[in-house]
Amino acid sequence: MNRFVKLVNFELSRFMKVYLVLIAMTVIVQVAGVIVKANGYMADANKAMYEDMLSQEQFLEKYGQMAFIDVARSLWFMGPITICVAALIFYVFIIWYRDWLGKNTFIYRLLMLPTARLNIYVSKMITIFLMVLGLVSVQLIFLPLENNVLKWMVPTDFRSDMTVSQIINWKYLSMLVPQTFSEFVLYYGAGFMALTVVSTAILFERSFKWKGIIAGIIYIAITVLIFIWPALLVFIMGRDFLYPLEIVGLETAMGIIVTAMSIWVGNYLLNKKITV
Amino acid sequence: MIEVKDMKKKFGRKSVLKGVSFTAEKGEITCVIGINGVGKTTILNAVMNLTPLNGGQILIDGEKINKHSYEKVTFIPDAIIMQPSMTIREAMQFMADFYDSWNQKRATELLAFFKLKEHEKINNLSKGNRAKVNLLLGLALDVDYLLMDEPFSGIDIFTREQIAEVFTSHLVEDRGVIITTHEISDIEHLIDKSVLLDDGVVVKEFHTEDMRETEGKSIVDVMREVYQP
Repeated sequence: MNRFVKLVNFELSRFMKVYLVLIAMTVIVQVAGVIVKANGYMADANKAMYEDMLSQEQFLEKYGQMAFIDVARSLWFMGPITICVAALIFYVFIIWYRDWLGKNTFIYRLLMLPTARLNIYVSKMITIFLMVLGLVSVQLIFLPLENNVLKWMVPTDFRSDMTVSQIINWKYLSMLVPQTFSEFVLYYGAGFMALTVVSTAILFERSFKWKGIIAGIIYIAITVLIFIWPALLVFIMGRDFLYPLEIVGLETAMGIIVTAMSIWVGNYLLNKKITV
Repeated sequence: MIEVKDMKKKFGRKSVLKGVSFTAEKGEITCVIGINGVGKTTILNAVMNLTPLNGGQILIDGEKINKHSYEKVTFIPDAIIMQPSMTIREAMQFMADFYDSWNQKRATELLAFFKLKEHEKINNLSKGNRAKVNLLLGLALDVDYLLMDEPFSGIDIFTREQIAEVFTSHLVEDRGVIITTHEISDIEHLIDKSVLLDDGVVVKEFHTEDMRETEGKSIVDVMREVYQP
């Protein structure tokens, strides 16, 4: 196993306990959400039919059938996803600062490993990226299960069945689970780019301390400007200035440039400017 | 040979190192001596490319430091540089995973020498035992040069004696050692060469034995002359 793979493996193992807790929390809360929402719906149905004396048709006409999307729109479903996203965003900072801050001086060891320092940078990026993909995969694996739980709890007449692909087509989930390969490349590419930009900004701070905070903010501003330049062009010159496909092409090119630049600058800082 | 040439380093506007030059030979123990804040740790950090310099050059066997240098030279700082949540065994495994120069046989020998238990977590170790783990992880690498920063800082006398014993053993034999300290008494008899720093420059560089033979002075005598004129 080469040192880069070992580094990725090591970085993954450092967050694994928290990561498994996040996965368990997501699954438990979402399944609980399905149960609670389904019970709530059926309780409403029973009350309407046995206390308010509505017929099944009248109830369905008034309240509609229950679909998985009702669960997906709830805090039970989106809450854990939001917590996972927040935790991973937070971990983008922690993955760097944990090696420096407090009594931890592990950065000495990392920087003295007999491997290119670029590997340290890229391994941390890949670790976060794999964790995102892992959480999305877990969500995809458990969606059919959660869908089936709903089917077990709500009788056929009261529910409107959805396939997994219909569920992930919903606007928020479609961001996490893109429908096409090109969407995957665009969404996750943009995420990876943001990851490299923030990491490089952190390395500015680690290299130049308080001056580095300013440098990091300026760096982020520059990369944002580069990335949104095609959109700015359209905004200034008018909608007809570029075809949509041209905008996508230019944005992709800008994204690649920003990512490559961030990795290059990050590598330069790690090799020439970093201080322990 | 490790060559430090005209090393300059500023922290903000303050010049800490104003052109430090010295060499450290393989098979010799070179001690960089100076009062607190004189830049001893900065020199070692710079040799390992852990802090950027404002000027000067460092060569290890004639080459600038690169990723391969870390198989040739290792740094043992005064604080533990492994994850505190690791056990000693995990720390050793980490080193074995990443360093071709890791010598498991020597690591086991050091473990017994320092009376450390593999299953113990670094977090739970005393300061003295953490220093021993640091030494173990550094000494178990088959490297040509060892850099040690204040190895006796804040540890008890028995641990000091044990660490000092390492210097006279085969564990250090034939290696080049650069050690920084201001507590010279424990290892004075082991030092081959002394480099005295003051006000950002090398004020005296001498071979201990020569100094003793020609001028009849110990390192402490020379330190008194330099730091308490």
